[in-house]
Amino acid sequence: MSPQTRFIPKQLLRQEFLLLMVVLLEVGFFLCTAKNFGTSDNISNIIRHSAEIGLLTLAMMPVILTGGIDLSVGSLMGFCAVMFGVITHDWHVATPPAAALTLLAGLLAGAFNALLITALRLPPLIVTLGTYSLFRGLAEAITQGTKTYRSFDSDFINLGEIHWVGMPIQAWIFASAALFFYLLVHRTTFGRSFRAIGFSPEGTRYAGISVQKRTALPYLLTGITAALASLLFTARLHQARADAGMGYELYAVTAVVLGGTSIFGGTGTVHGTLAGITAIAVLSNGIGRVPAVFKAGVGGELAALLTGALLLIALTAPGIGNHLAKMFAKDSTNLEKLKPSVSQHAQKTPILPS
Amino acid sequence: MPPLLLRLSDIKKSFGAVKALKGVSFELRPGEVHALLGENGAGKSTLIKVITGAHIPDSGTLEISGGIVSHLTPTRSQELGISCIYQQPALFSDLSVSENIGLRLEKNGPFGKVNWKQRHKTAVALLQRIGANIRPETHVSELSMPEQQLVEIACALGSGAKIVIMDEPTASLTRSEQELLFGVVRDLRTSGAGVIYISHRLEEIFALADRVTVLRDGESVCTRSVRSAAGKNELSEDELIRLMVGRDVASIYPPRESARGEVILELQNISCAAGRIRDINLSVRAGEVLGLAGLVGAGRTELARVLFGITPADSGSIHLDGRELVVRNPRQAVCLGIAYVPEDRRRHGVILPMPITENISMAVHSKLFPAQWLNFQRERDLGKRFVHALGIKASSPDALGGSLSGGNQQKVSLARWLATEPRLLILDEPTQGVDVGAKSEIHRIIRDLAAKGLAVIMISSDLPEILGMSDRIAVMREGRIAEILDGASASAQSVMSAALRSA
Repeated sequence: MSPQTRFIPKQLLRQEFLLLMVVLLEVGFFLCTAKNFGTSDNISNIIRHSAEIGLLTLAMMPVILTGGIDLSVGSLMGFCAVMFGVITHDWHVATPPAAALTLLAGLLAGAFNALLITALRLPPLIVTLGTYSLFRGLAEAITQGTKTYRSFDSDFINLGEIHWVGMPIQAWIFASAALFFYLLVHRTTFGRSFRAIGFSPEGTRYAGISVQKRTALPYLLTGITAALASLLFTARLHQARADAGMGYELYAVTAVVLGGTSIFGGTGTVHGTLAGITAIAVLSNGIGRVPAVFKAGVGGELAALLTGALLLIALTAPGIGNHLAKMFAKDSTNLEKLKPSVSQHAQKTPILPS
Repeated sequence: MPPLLLRLSDIKKSFGAVKALKGVSFELRPGEVHALLGENGAGKSTLIKVITGAHIPDSGTLEISGGIVSHLTPTRSQELGISCIYQQPALFSDLSVSENIGLRLEKNGPFGKVNWKQRHKTAVALLQRIGANIRPETHVSELSMPEQQLVEIACALGSGAKIVIMDEPTASLTRSEQELLFGVVRDLRTSGAGVIYISHRLEEIFALADRVTVLRDGESVCTRSVRSAAGKNELSEDELIRLMVGRDVASIYPPRESARGEVILELQNISCAAGRIRDINLSVRAGEVLGLAGLVGAGRTELARVLFGITPADSGSIHLDGRELVVRNPRQAVCLGIAYVPEDRRRHGVILPMPITENISMAVHSKLFPAQWLNFQRERDLGKRFVHALGIKASSPDALGGSLSGGNQQKVSLARWLATEPRLLILDEPTQGVDVGAKSEIHRIIRDLAAKGLAVIMISSDLPEILGMSDRIAVMREGRIAEILDGASASAQSVMSAALRSA
């Protein structure tokens, strides 16, 4: 039994749980202080504005679970938005097939990442840092940096506006995606292999699992998800621009890590990721509605500042909790009880002479 | 008589429950080449680390040049003139040869200033002295393994070491490089330094050494002169081998079942350059335990890696159940009914942060979950079945692999592969680092499996285990099968002699 379990139940130290508390605190605080925070209009608003980042975050989660990272998602969103504009406006393709082609482009871009990472065994950080510039660069080259595609089908625009059974369309799309990723990660052998690969790619290979194929899958999914997010973005703003999704990759990584997924891979849950997304989305919406008194003169940048602080606190809290528990244990008489368990552990793993 | 360079008396050292050294005594005279000989795991490496200060002994005394040294550290041992050349050169690969030599030998100048001219000169002189044809400005990354070893030797010479330790220095050297090395060793001897020489090649020991100390199971068995005063050989290879293995083989092994079936696996002329194995011809029958013996580095694990598709063979043919096949990757090996319980269980055998059940089901995902959809009930049933069948001691089947003892981790690794219902089971050091109780249980399990008609290849460095378990013993030496012995009539002597003897 580890020392801290004696003083604080382990469940309470789980990051998902801590985060849920944070979300509730946020909601409580903003309900009391922020203007119109709790209105149904505002809730729809939060969902509409965070659906795109939310989708990217969901797709980022399995990538990080395998011990990888995909920094190209934001840029890919920009590229896909521009591709959609080109396909509808320059190639005069009808909206539904154009949307399908856009998703295909996202998939291919994801496959490009996956190919470099698995076939050439390059580090994901380097590969996607490269494609981060590459995809954005392509988007800007196509639009010459200035062109914006406007005037889309009204049906398509509606995608960004209308409600279905009381919720914005985005809510339903996001919920389906969340369900999909939850099942993928927690209910299939794919998710199981992602975790195994995150812990030990070599060990997974020795278990007869094709590590390369399994590692490729999350990158294909981030590709297609970035394309989907670009369509939602275009529908919401009524325009397709090269700067769509600028900086979203870091929001996504932040939300995943905040949600308790280890940046080194192996551990993490999709529900934790959902809590991470919610914490960030609620925070940035609420801060905008809080009267100036509470902002301490920092103004609009406060959301970013608080998100950063939240992330650092979330990452260090379990460690500090353990530390406090240990200190507490030292002061109490439990020290003697702890000793044998430590030495037993040392005996179990002898450093064998070579 | 000049004082001894080094004297160790009754050195003891334990790691947890493992007693690596149980009272070793050793001495080194000036101008002597003293060979250190012993099986894998006899305690040679630990002893060397005690001398270099990397390990602090639990008890015993250490005298260097006549003075007792109580707290030896690696830095202190270098100052006292001890230099060690390891099998794996420890050089900075992005720096040049002269920079590497300089880093080892030079004292810091004022403001850390480097005298490049002097550094170059020293390097040239040292390399010339050992007769190595290496330019000092070459980057170490461009050197071959033997060349890097020569640079290490140059460093040792340059430091003016009085005690030079060489741990299997010829393992990667070619003939002519070996001659260079022997020249250096003789040179050191004439200059009055002492050399501790570790090698598995008996012919080198006869060519170089003045005296030999044999280690066995962490004890120094004896120290003998290689030549008499008249220059005649006093020792024979046979005698040395007997000294190394001389112990009783415990008769705690389960009885052999002699019902051998048809040939399961047949290898013809298997070679693999990456694994440095050549021309392997071998067959294993159903119900047979084939022991694969040999020294560390003889190519046993490499052969297993070829069969399991981790490093596929370059040439030769593999027949399984009479059908010729190519194993390209582990995934395919699993489908073909080949299972490999790897040597390094903490890195390859078990994924430590994952639960026991998830570890056990890993190799049978497609059988257990045909639609790739996890069925936790089936998985738990499988886990429970094996936890019970192999007697895995854990708080629950959901306990993490890392929370288990070595023996139980090994059983989890074994369970994973038994769950695949293989035709051929390859076990690599199945009881290494496993306590005695779990060890005999694992032996019983292996025997049961063979009785059920599996073909088993068991790689082991533990001689009694090889002798006690194997129906036949294939002994490997330098990437080849040196000899195949009958398990019932083989002795420790005959196995060691096949593993060691020069062809």
